[in-house]
Amino acid sequence: MSDAFASLLTALGDDELVLGHRHSEWTGYAPHLEEDVAFSSIAQDEIGHATAYYSLLAKVTDTDPDRLALGRDKSGYRHAVVCERPNREWGYTLARHWFYDTADEIRLGSLELCADEDLAALARKIRREERYHLLHADSWMKRIARGPVEGRTKLMDAIGDTLSESLGIFEPFELEEAAVKEGLWPTPSDELRERFLQRAAEELDVLGLPTEIHAHAANDAEFVASSSGDLIADQEGGDGGSADGQDTVALGLGGRRGHHSADFDQLWEDMTGQYRAHPGATW
Amino acid sequence: MDIYEVFRRHGHKEPFEHCGAVIAPDPEMALLMAKECFLRRREASHLWVTRRADIHSFEDESLLEIAADKSYRFAEAYRDVMGKRERARARAKELAS
Repeated sequence: MSDAFASLLTALGDDELVLGHRHSEWTGYAPHLEEDVAFSSIAQDEIGHATAYYSLLAKVTDTDPDRLALGRDKSGYRHAVVCERPNREWGYTLARHWFYDTADEIRLGSLELCADEDLAALARKIRREERYHLLHADSWMKRIARGPVEGRTKLMDAIGDTLSESLGIFEPFELEEAAVKEGLWPTPSDELRERFLQRAAEELDVLGLPTEIHAHAANDAEFVASSSGDLIADQEGGDGGSADGQDTVALGLGGRRGHHSADFDQLWEDMTGQYRAHPGATW
Repeated sequence: MDIYEVFRRHGHKEPFEHCGAVIAPDPEMALLMAKECFLRRREASHLWVTRRADIHSFEDESLLEIAADKSYRFAEAYRDVMGKRERARARAKELAS
């Protein structure tokens, strides 16, 4: 297996694992019982997808999926920063769920053409579940977008915060150029990001929701300029640390190069604590 | 005239089961028709009718298929938990002695 392939699988698996973990934090707290079950089920699906990606990786690197998921140091994770952000409230979680699954749909559509047969087959399988995730997210978005002002306002705020950070999903992963050359990553991330932005903007427009993204990411995305730059200051406050890349982490970027926010420190402790406390234990 | 789907059940602890459909102008008539068609021989002691148009289903039922591994949702996946616990107890005992 090429290093580029390993890097790709790590990015894919880490996105699913970390977002799945965040989703699972709603178990017992979602807005109502039926949704609690539904959203927990989606969380399990995402973690199942992570297992599948890690299993492909583990097959050739002589390790096991659990070890890849939970036995790595913090610095080894390559998920997009948006996946590690705390859930805040339902509106934020919903907006992120919608952007992530829209992005994933676009990414999987391309991955189905992957030169590696196993990964192409896996992408087809995962995409079938992701279609349902997207239906779930769309259904909520429609109802809140057309519902009372309070919910709609919260959703609009959440969209403003999430859309720009979602672009981090399409930051090129390490060795992406080689992966593109080998046919493993059929469409370069830059192009996928454009598709994502176009689709998201079209669908938000239909829902009558704002499609502008905050100024700081607009430079990068060549997208509509924004009304507010306030978010930048807010986020910089939240992401301390002087390590290289922290300024971009505050904008939701850098995850693919291993730069993460303080939000991930806590998540990693919670997620891997049990595994590290009992090395070698099996379920 | 509308098509009404008919459900019936025996006792309070049983689930309602779909048993057929009748054509009727309104719910009241649908109940009468359903009683005559489906409860002639004490098949049940409760009866529901609902307009077929009020029943909803997914347009694409392939959504209901389970695509990926969901073994953790089945009791089968936890079959050996008792055995594992026994073995862990035995190991703990051994370590203690």
